[in-house]
Amino acid sequence: MEPRNPLMDDFVLELSGADQPRICFLPTASGDADHYVVRFYRRFGAGRTDPSHVSLFRRDRSAGAVEGNLEEHLLSQDVIYVGGGSLLSLLGTWRAHGLDRTLRRAWEQGVVLCGLSAGSLCWFADAVTAFHGPSERVTGLGLLPYSNCVHYDGEPERRRSFRSMVGDGLRPGFGVEDGAALCFEGTTLKEVVTSKPAASAYEVAVDPDGEVVERRLAARYLGDSGDGEPAAPEGRASLQAVAEAPAEAGRASDPVAGSGIAGGGGIVGPGPSAAGPEVETAVAA
Amino acid sequence: MSGAPVFCMGGGGFTMEPGRPALDAYILALAPVQRPRVLFLPTASGDPKEQVERFSRLFGAWPCKPRVLSLFHLDELEETLETLVLSQDIIYVGGGSMRNLLALWRAHGVADLLLEAHRRGTILAGLSAGAMCWFQGGVSSSTGSPEPIDGLGLLEGSFSVHARQVPERGAVQRSAIAAGRLPDGWNADDYCGLLFVDGRLEEAVASREDAGARRVERQPDGTVTETEIPVRRLEPITIDVVDGHHERRAGAALASADVREELREVRRIRDRAISSRMRARRAG
Repeated sequence: MEPRNPLMDDFVLELSGADQPRICFLPTASGDADHYVVRFYRRFGAGRTDPSHVSLFRRDRSAGAVEGNLEEHLLSQDVIYVGGGSLLSLLGTWRAHGLDRTLRRAWEQGVVLCGLSAGSLCWFADAVTAFHGPSERVTGLGLLPYSNCVHYDGEPERRRSFRSMVGDGLRPGFGVEDGAALCFEGTTLKEVVTSKPAASAYEVAVDPDGEVVERRLAARYLGDSGDGEPAAPEGRASLQAVAEAPAEAGRASDPVAGSGIAGGGGIVGPGPSAAGPEVETAVAA
Repeated sequence: MSGAPVFCMGGGGFTMEPGRPALDAYILALAPVQRPRVLFLPTASGDPKEQVERFSRLFGAWPCKPRVLSLFHLDELEETLETLVLSQDIIYVGGGSMRNLLALWRAHGVADLLLEAHRRGTILAGLSAGAMCWFQGGVSSSTGSPEPIDGLGLLEGSFSVHARQVPERGAVQRSAIAAGRLPDGWNADDYCGLLFVDGRLEEAVASREDAGARRVERQPDGTVTETEIPVRRLEPITIDVVDGHHERRAGAALASADVREELREVRRIRDRAISSRMRARRAG
């Protein structure tokens, strides 16, 4: 949810393929901050969607949040949207309420999963976060068997840490700048989309010689219908990752392969777009 | 276990009864230093801004060094968690979801730090989830309806909160004790707190006349009984927590005087309690 820039959010809704998508917001990583919940309803309310949110801190009081059987509610959604904040707090709280299992089930059943920042990192096997002090590695839910580092255009230190961690044996993965998003279907990266013309995502891996290689991935700017020059950027964007829902059919016999997830900086959709990202540039670390 | 007190409220204090800070003053008075370092953890409610503001406003006007630890905003923390937690005289834990509280503490390694701080002499205090967490178990509504939940086990026994306000919690505690799911323990109403020293109940205090607490025990015949325990009513402290700067200054001056009074009273009680324990030990 970038203020004044709805491109990513619109893309997420499109991915669902529903006229009036049921979208549920999980603001857990912010401690269910009220202002964040309000922002969600402002963006997704007004009849475009069927919005709801889950507060894991106030399950005994309504306050407008979903009560009762959370699993049933989450499994009936078209889109689950995870807000940013503290990744460790997010994962700890989810696990305490069994939402780690519920979200995996939702993914397997074809619900589009998306999120930004901590809400992007959480879907990956390994996350590199610098929320407090030096960069550290955090084990995520592991739906996507890659590593992920967000706010990649933030402090240069973050980029250096991620590359050196991959060099030291962290599984290969993606560095994603603010305003860019990775869209996965199953565990396959379908495309990179951006809400800012200049935002990028990178694949970081180790080549056969043991060198860390960072490749910029081809990206589609969501603001242009064609290929013209994009409009001026709209300030610092922060959408980081979107996991997408399953392919149209939804239920595949192999759930992991059958569903989609977007992680990193973006969204994932069952989109008809290119088979895979193209390598534009390669940068040796 | 160190001799540092642990103060457990069924409810009350600045997050629940702003403007009536008798229990908060009592907590401050537990520290045997002039200007105690007081760390507030609003973890169980997700670190809401209003709790942080209320804490800063109240304790900022008192003779102490208040800090807040927000696990959701660790990016704003300058020192390490360990440095912060292990350098406090008092750690005050807010209410909310006990399940989330314990999960977050474990995720960030805070539970061990808190226990270590207590071993080194830090006073622990809290309400609701922030009170039950110190016991072997409690009764939490973290998933909607009340159910037994395990705590950190620093204090032996079980503790249930909001006893008179939410009677269903007491019913869950009693049946869990009857079934052996929770050990014998206590329950407390809102505005009543129990002070434990060396794992033993020292006294119960309340900021309101009708707030009480009970010992809850399983009897040999399998039934569970509740026995009222004596509660000392704290002298009311009247301070209006207001937004205006001028009023706040006036309120602060008033509060400081009252806190000192309360401090002296609490220290007298503590001294008596400690010396009677010493006598008992020598006798034993």
